[in-house]
Amino acid sequence: MPGNPTFCYSADPCYRRLMSKSWLAILAVTIILCGTPSASVAQVVDGKTLVQAELISSASAIAPGETFYVGLKLTMAPGWHTYWEYSGDAGIPTKIKWDLPPGFGAGPIEWPIPKAKLEPGDIEVYGYSGEVVLLIAIQPPADLTPGTEVTLRGVASWLVCEEICIPGSAKVEITLPVAATAVASAAGKIIADWQTRVPSAEPPPYNVTWSKSGDSLTARVRSVAGVENVRFFPLPSGNQSVGHPRVSGSGDGASTISVTAASPLRGVIAAVVNGQDRSWLVVAEPGIAETAETSSDASLGVIATLPPLWQALLFGFLGGIILNLMPCVLPVISLKVFGFIRQAGDDPRQIFLHGLAFSSGIFFWFLGLGAVIVALKASGTEVTWAFQFQNPMFILVIAAVVFVFALNLCGVFELTLPGKAVGTMSDLSGKEGFSGSFFQGVFATLLATPCTGPFLGTALGFAFSQPGGVVMAMFGSIALGMASPYLLLSARPGWMKFLPKPGAWMEKLKQFMAFPLFATLLWLLSILGGQKGIDGILWTAAFLLSLGLAVWIYGAFCGPLSSVRTRVLAIACALGVALGGGWFFIGSGFLTATAQSGAVSKDGIPWQPFSQALVDELLAEGKPVFIDFTADWCITCKFNERTAINTPAVRALIAELGVVPIKADWTNSNPEITAALKAFGRVGVPFYVIYPAGRANEPITLPELLTESIVIEALKMSR
Amino acid sequence: MKLHHVATALLFTATMAIASPEIGKPAPAFTLTDSNGKSHSLSDFKGKFVVLEWVNFGCPFVKKFYDSGEMQKLQAAHTGKDVVWLSICSSAEGKQGHHTPAELQAKLESIGYKGTGYLIDADGTVGKSYNARTTPEMFVINPEGVLIYKGAIDDKPSTDSADIASARNFVAAALGEATSGQAVTTAETKPYGCSVKY
Repeated sequence: MPGNPTFCYSADPCYRRLMSKSWLAILAVTIILCGTPSASVAQVVDGKTLVQAELISSASAIAPGETFYVGLKLTMAPGWHTYWEYSGDAGIPTKIKWDLPPGFGAGPIEWPIPKAKLEPGDIEVYGYSGEVVLLIAIQPPADLTPGTEVTLRGVASWLVCEEICIPGSAKVEITLPVAATAVASAAGKIIADWQTRVPSAEPPPYNVTWSKSGDSLTARVRSVAGVENVRFFPLPSGNQSVGHPRVSGSGDGASTISVTAASPLRGVIAAVVNGQDRSWLVVAEPGIAETAETSSDASLGVIATLPPLWQALLFGFLGGIILNLMPCVLPVISLKVFGFIRQAGDDPRQIFLHGLAFSSGIFFWFLGLGAVIVALKASGTEVTWAFQFQNPMFILVIAAVVFVFALNLCGVFELTLPGKAVGTMSDLSGKEGFSGSFFQGVFATLLATPCTGPFLGTALGFAFSQPGGVVMAMFGSIALGMASPYLLLSARPGWMKFLPKPGAWMEKLKQFMAFPLFATLLWLLSILGGQKGIDGILWTAAFLLSLGLAVWIYGAFCGPLSSVRTRVLAIACALGVALGGGWFFIGSGFLTATAQSGAVSKDGIPWQPFSQALVDELLAEGKPVFIDFTADWCITCKFNERTAINTPAVRALIAELGVVPIKADWTNSNPEITAALKAFGRVGVPFYVIYPAGRANEPITLPELLTESIVIEALKMSR
Repeated sequence: MKLHHVATALLFTATMAIASPEIGKPAPAFTLTDSNGKSHSLSDFKGKFVVLEWVNFGCPFVKKFYDSGEMQKLQAAHTGKDVVWLSICSSAEGKQGHHTPAELQAKLESIGYKGTGYLIDADGTVGKSYNARTTPEMFVINPEGVLIYKGAIDDKPSTDSADIASARNFVAAALGEATSGQAVTTAETKPYGCSVKY
């Protein structure tokens, strides 16, 4: 009977009508649920509705475990605006505090491209006017029961401004049925449309090259047909101060973005591509380049710039000068100083020729290295900077040479060329001087190679990707830089006046200079220790002992006044001792020594050894990763580790943020680490990379010389 | 290339117009009239710490501190023999925050204002010389006239006064460190608030 359907019994004819009515009702309710959006909540001030907020969903029915998108739709009154993820000079971004059913997870807000608004007083803000849909990914748990309903609740809060600002908030909610398979909703189209306006994490499809000029980061966006209206919106971290980005066209179809900020700076590049507004998340950081076209697996969000050739050569030159100051060269400077002093007072032409000989030693080394590298590049072998130092035999030879030299300075023996008469002393010293100077030049550069200083890093990376001619020019400019002080001093003998006059003190100084050499020897031994362990050091020391004995025999019995017979006998003995020691200590001892694996980390940071598989796995899990590319023979690396990384503050931050620290120890040659370095355009250590959580294609690279605050700032950006 | 140079030059001159005072350098000088008609210069206060608080009573971020009484508490706690607290309003005439001296006297009385003085900067010159962009924005100047803090009032950007108790107040911290002879650990932060209504 109509009017009282609840009292129909199954046998009654009205039951059928009730059922059909109920079906109608159910149908109606279903249509209503699917068809109409959830209720919108309004912010009304003084009778005027400023903002209407509501939740829309991409799915009209959700499936267990299947992520879907929810949109917070904000409709603003004309003239009023709300703010973007980075609000700019003023304002605060919209927030949502979720109250979700158990097991549900909500991602962060995904922000569509904002608009910039300039206000009087040079105040610039970023936000939305009219209407915006902020997107949030929602992950339902896998144990939902189809046929039930869930209600997602949240409190959205924002700041809406016109001339004045008014904070607003609204409780928003949406109720969705659970089904076995997800059903797309009508609102899904709206959400998909807004999703195209959210910055993509992939690199832009056109060339962007960043560089630093003054304290501005500039990027040239070289246009491809159909790219217009380029904009940049910064996303500074924490207290990173950032200026107002400005874009200017340069008439040749390219745009230049300029923003005052310290690098690296996260941000969004937006452009209208073929009529569609698109945007990309980028990290603005000058560095080594690979263009977007050639690197299909570019791990850099923004392609950094190739420094122009003249800049690279200049840096190479400056780097060369600085090499003279590196810890691994400084002890050898003592030898150079000694040489110059010996020459002070001589014929000016002689002095200059000494300087030239010294410089040619430097050039010989660098150009030789360049030639070897060009040859190896041509042969396809993996070539990396300081590769020599990964070979323990090489270090052993250097250690032996340094030791012998030090003994010479101590006066254990004198270097005299056989067959020269005492009467031709000047000739002798001249010749000795030249070859000695030449040798000192070579020696000094040899020891400098592991210390890739700040300038050299960029220059070398540049050189290695360049054709052979450029590599040679690059190495030439470094050599020039390193040699220039000596060339200068030897060319202007007048300045030699300022060098002390020779005298008895010279002998004492000469002996004293042995000690820096012994210190260098200690450093070499410590590298060997890392490569070959304690045993390696002991065998090396034993070998050096025998070498020392040999050298003493030579020195004690091979004076200019000893007879030929004594001389021959002495040399034979010396050689015998040296070779015997070499065969015994090196042949059967040194070569078989191995370093202990898995050095205990004494610094409290739980370093894991590098492996590409481990890194890939961690990145796939969305964990933040900090990779420290280091080597025992790299003094800059050790310095950085001691002063900027192994500090209580950094240790605590790493633990707090859940960053996984990985040490890529390149002391011995390691093809995996070499490949990883190459992927970043680097050929040497130190090198530091931080992969932020979940953003594996936006790695943050740190400079070669670190300070604790650089590390802390970068770690904070990895959240 | 030429256009690029011209653009750079223009940008340079534009940025010259809005200079930003630097930490460790002398704070820009100014002379302004207060709500009682009296004129004050920054140099008048040499020998004392000076706190500059950019204010706009209509801004919800400023209201967060004044309606809850927290700003007045801060002012009372710090004004003393050695600290001068000046509130500066750079709102232009007709814009939110701008009041006549008469209105101000009544307003300051009613809210229990405890600062040393409320200065009116209607043409915005002082605001621009300090590159003040938000209200509130805080500056702390030491007795030698050197800027030792600039930026936000605390580390919780919101309009909710419940956040004040758990926030780290940078002004109190800077004053505490500077008065006991230590260096200011957090000397520069990003300010939050409404834009200054120039």
